[in-house]
Amino acid sequence: MSTETQNDGDDLEDRVTNFLRRNFPQIQMHGGSAAIQDIDRESGEVSIALGGACSGCGISPMTIQAIKSRMVKEIPEIEKVNASTGMDGGEEEMDGMSPSFPGETVDDDGGEVDEGPEAPF
Amino acid sequence: MADFDPEKFEDKYANYFPELQQAYKNAFNRMNDRYDSELVHAIDQQVLNESEPFYDGDGEFHVELPDDPYGRLSGVVVEEERFETILEAHIDEIETELQRVFGFQ
Repeated sequence: MSTETQNDGDDLEDRVTNFLRRNFPQIQMHGGSAAIQDIDRESGEVSIALGGACSGCGISPMTIQAIKSRMVKEIPEIEKVNASTGMDGGEEEMDGMSPSFPGETVDDDGGEVDEGPEAPF
Repeated sequence: MADFDPEKFEDKYANYFPELQQAYKNAFNRMNDRYDSELVHAIDQQVLNESEPFYDGDGEFHVELPDDPYGRLSGVVVEEERFETILEAHIDEIETELQRVFGFQ
C-alpha cells in the first residue's frame, strides 16, 4: 500500500521507458542502452542518456533527434527532452561499456584464471 | 526507399527514421575513414546530435546545424578553421547520403 503514493511518478517513468523500448528497439538491438537520468514532472523535462554502442556508431545523432521529436508528441506530460550519449563533457565513455570497480578484475570464467596450474587438454 | 514522399518527410523521424540513421551512419563511416577519428566522433556526438535534415525539393537535402558548432566541441583540440572544413565535409557527406538512401542518386 505504501508504494501507491508514488504511482504518478513511476507511471510517467514507465511510460518513458516503454516509449523508448517500443519505438527504438534498435538501441538495444545494436548493443546500446537508453537510461532515464532525470524526470522533472513540474517542468515536463526528461533527461535520457544513451550508452554502450550508441556512443560511437554514427547513428546516435538521428536517434537522439528522433527521441526528442517523438517523445514530446506521444507523451503529453513531456515538454522537453534532453538526450545525449554521455560524451558532452568531453570524456569518452564508449569503451567503458561494462561496469567495473577499481582494483577489481571481473571475468566470466568463474574466477579461476591465474589460479594454479591449468589442466592439460 | 524509392517512393520518397516529401510530405511524409515532414514527420521524418516517424516515417523515415531507418533511412535517416543509415544516411548519417554511412556519412560517419566515410568521414571516419578519411579524417581524424576522434574529431569525427566528437562532431557526430556533440554537433550532429542537434542537427536536422530538411528536404528542399528536386532531390536536394540540407542539414541545419545548432548555433555555434565550434563552441559545442569539448574534449578535442582542433583549430576552428580545420574544424569548419571537416564539419562542412561531413555535412556534404550526409546530404549526399540522404540523396542516395532516398533514391535520388
